[in-house]
Amino acid sequence: MTKLVSLTIDGKQVTVPEGTLFVDAAKRVGIDIPVFCYHPKMEPVGMCRMCLVDVGRPMIDRATGQPVMDENGAPKIQFGAKLDTACTTPVSEGMVVIGASDKVKAARKDIVEFILTSHPLDCPVCDKGGECPLQNLTMAYGPGETRFLYDDKLHLAKQVPLGELIYLDRERCIQCGRCVRFQDEIVDDPVIGFFNRGRSLEIVTHSDPGFDSVFSGNTTDICPVGALTTADFRFGARPWELKSTSSICSQCPVGCNITFNVRREAASGGKTVIKRVMPRQNETVNEIWICDKGRFGYHYTESDDRLTTPLIRKNGELTPASWDEALGLVASRFSAAGEGLLTLGSGRLSNEDLFNLRQLTEGVKGKAALYTHMAGGDLTAQVGVAPGTDFGEMGKGTAILVAASDLYEEAPIWFLRIKQAAERGATLIVANARPTKLEAYASHVIRYRYGAEAETIAAMTVDRGPTTVAGHPSSVADASKAFAEAENAVILFGSDGLGLEGSQALSAACANLLVATRHVGRANNGLVGVWSRANDQGAWDMGLRPLTVDRRPELQSAKAIYVVAADPFGDDPGLLATFNLQPATFLVVQDLFLTETARRADVVLPAQAFTEREGAYTSGERRVQRFYPAAPARPDTWPDFAITAQIAQKMGSILEGRVPAAVFTQIAATVAAYAGLSYRKLAETNDQWPSVGSGVRRKGLYFSGTAYENKQGVGIHLPLSPTPLPPVNMQSFHLQGEGLLAVPVTCLYDRGQTVYPSALLHQRIGEVWVALHPADAERLGVVANSRVSLTLGGAEFDATARLDESVPQGVALIPRSMGIPINGPEAVEIRAGERVVL
Amino acid sequence: MLAEKYPLETQNILAKYPPDQKRSAVMPLLYLAQRESGYVTKAAMQDIAALCEMSVTEVASIVGFYSLYYDKPAGKYRVQVCTDLPCALRGADEFLSKLCENLGIKVGETTPDGLVTVEAVMCLAGCDKAPMFQTQSSEGITYHENQTIESALEVIDAWRQQEKQA
Repeated sequence: MTKLVSLTIDGKQVTVPEGTLFVDAAKRVGIDIPVFCYHPKMEPVGMCRMCLVDVGRPMIDRATGQPVMDENGAPKIQFGAKLDTACTTPVSEGMVVIGASDKVKAARKDIVEFILTSHPLDCPVCDKGGECPLQNLTMAYGPGETRFLYDDKLHLAKQVPLGELIYLDRERCIQCGRCVRFQDEIVDDPVIGFFNRGRSLEIVTHSDPGFDSVFSGNTTDICPVGALTTADFRFGARPWELKSTSSICSQCPVGCNITFNVRREAASGGKTVIKRVMPRQNETVNEIWICDKGRFGYHYTESDDRLTTPLIRKNGELTPASWDEALGLVASRFSAAGEGLLTLGSGRLSNEDLFNLRQLTEGVKGKAALYTHMAGGDLTAQVGVAPGTDFGEMGKGTAILVAASDLYEEAPIWFLRIKQAAERGATLIVANARPTKLEAYASHVIRYRYGAEAETIAAMTVDRGPTTVAGHPSSVADASKAFAEAENAVILFGSDGLGLEGSQALSAACANLLVATRHVGRANNGLVGVWSRANDQGAWDMGLRPLTVDRRPELQSAKAIYVVAADPFGDDPGLLATFNLQPATFLVVQDLFLTETARRADVVLPAQAFTEREGAYTSGERRVQRFYPAAPARPDTWPDFAITAQIAQKMGSILEGRVPAAVFTQIAATVAAYAGLSYRKLAETNDQWPSVGSGVRRKGLYFSGTAYENKQGVGIHLPLSPTPLPPVNMQSFHLQGEGLLAVPVTCLYDRGQTVYPSALLHQRIGEVWVALHPADAERLGVVANSRVSLTLGGAEFDATARLDESVPQGVALIPRSMGIPINGPEAVEIRAGERVVL
Repeated sequence: MLAEKYPLETQNILAKYPPDQKRSAVMPLLYLAQRESGYVTKAAMQDIAALCEMSVTEVASIVGFYSLYYDKPAGKYRVQVCTDLPCALRGADEFLSKLCENLGIKVGETTPDGLVTVEAVMCLAGCDKAPMFQTQSSEGITYHENQTIESALEVIDAWRQQEKQA
């Protein structure tokens, strides 16, 4: 139990844990102490001096060691000769802090005047204007005019690209160091730094590409001036013109809470468009951070390539058709297909969409399947992390095992949260076939060969060790001991190098390990899937299951295939062939774009983007969260659940298709884990600390970031399934064959449909590549960064060869969704030089 | 590559620090790199970052922080005149301007022969012996105290002679 300390701040009594800083203690009783450099998420540095306060401590009689009393019997308070910084001074018993005296006001006035000596008065054109802490604090505390000579003002570069994503205005920088400290302390990507000192101090980057961090956008949020701006939003709009809508990021299973800022503008021809994506506070999910993919990846929703009208194949060509005609045709063919209907939905869809898909399909006794390369969503529903789980609370006593996942690329915010948990003392165990960034914080590193993922985790259950790992003093035995003995333990399993079969075995092994070590059914214990899509967990919960090998026979007979928000042909041209797709098979694709699969379809139905409609996603931690309509929908498009309901209606069955809230009510009524939930409950909020109120129409001057307060729901963590865990069949999975093995890995920035339309990210996405160990490259005669051709799954591809010593020998890493279809580990042949097109 | 060019020096420097705290070696390595070309090149920063397991930006920040590291080329000899208050009271400002006048350059510039760069710097802890300057070159750092413009020019002439002979 932390010792509590009582003190008085501006006449208000406050009791806080020992070690609390004044600035935080004051906020607890509603007093805003102005700050520039201080940030509640980072260590204080006391650089800007804005938070000066007068601090008095009880006088102690040196002879007796007792407090000196005044004539009224109250302890005498002695104030210091100088003011103290509220951000660096911890509280102590009986202190009296004055933040509102003339002395303090005069000091703050001087500091603002000093900070403004070289700050340009370009607020009318500054992106931060309107939500700028410097503006706000100048209005509240500043002198109104300056005594410094204008001629001595420094004139500095105003458009310094730190990379193609973030721009620096050197004149506006007040040298608080928040950005540098964020990159260093919080995310440990120290790619921006100070250069020079004093008035010549500037922020620089020497990384390649510039400001090489997937968290870079967050620095623009915490910058207390307009010095750092994103290439996406700069000069785009004034903050007070923007409307904000709460949403959930659709890029990965973390489920970061975000806010869309939209504006109706002449520049876009009078349309209402999304101007920026901002983090929305949810301390149990993403705190106040989001990654750059979430921040910049939304452009696909506004792409001109979006489908705008239903298409029907007539005389071999896809031609525009009316909804009525298209839906009628689909309904009649689905009815005719009956149990020959195969529905493929993906985790890009909301729970409501997936629920309706399954209802429609099962209405005709068809088969609904989840389009994914990962398994284990049924296990996470049973041995997942229980309600109350918070990575932000994990520390000493908690073991976190990250298996087969490159979290920095697969789910950056989880990388951040787990790194911080490890820094607080959690035992981090990283098991992977190759080194990943997270290993720097690990207590135990387990290295296995690709293909031995499940085997390795199973070995932890029975402790077959010790298997020493070169270069690391740990072993599987040590790791399993630490894991078993930890009070709490969590496993995150990803899909680094895994296909569906491997994922099945791995998830089963992970579940077994948790059950064997009794790390189930409690908060901060259990299994988390690092899924590839935002709502894969929801899809499992809605009853969709992946197309595992054992399910294939039952699917061979598909007469009609309904593909929703997935592109199996684009991802793997051979996939549907394995299901015996006949020319007569009726293919319906419902999507945002004319995908490779849609090009082959008989009917294409245009859906709405998640930004245009309501819905709920279930995150990898199994938190159900609502998103709201941010931008107006394209005319003549419908949300997926409504399209499905209309097809069903024409097939003679009634599905809820009016509002998603009504579909959700049905989910709550039929899916056990969702019982009792409603849209109203999902919209409930709670008190969040630190308070982020600041900026336009937001109260408070203290936190001074531009993250949004959570006013529309923090979501609800699902309870675990009460059914007992069935025995898990640990499938042993071994790779066949000799030669080079291609394994899929995930890159944050890929060429996927929901990323690539953001032109801003193209430089980070780059060309399609394949990574090899230098020794293998030498054997194959491949030189670094040269073009190679490769044969994979019977098809030929070109790629740029990256040589990397961290790639295991005999293995070629191939990024998913970058242009080379790869579903799981398979043999590959790589030759130097480009393939010659005859 | 620094490590290839000066294998022994690099090894000796790195050996002074625990293997898990390689970044401690950044200062002497930067000094080594600067001795090589008179300033720390971009390539050298990258080498040092790799050796010390730091980011290049962190190494560059250190170069920026310390006034004795340079990231831009200059003359072979850097003449650094202290112009802080006590030195100024003893005529440092006048000394500096006359020195520049005689060399035909402005503060911060390099003589056309590439030999001398004159800089104004903060306190060098030689207040009682002002005007004074320090010189920085591949031979290290030398103090020149109680200077007159004549004595300073003599020092520079001596470098010129040395340069001719070499």
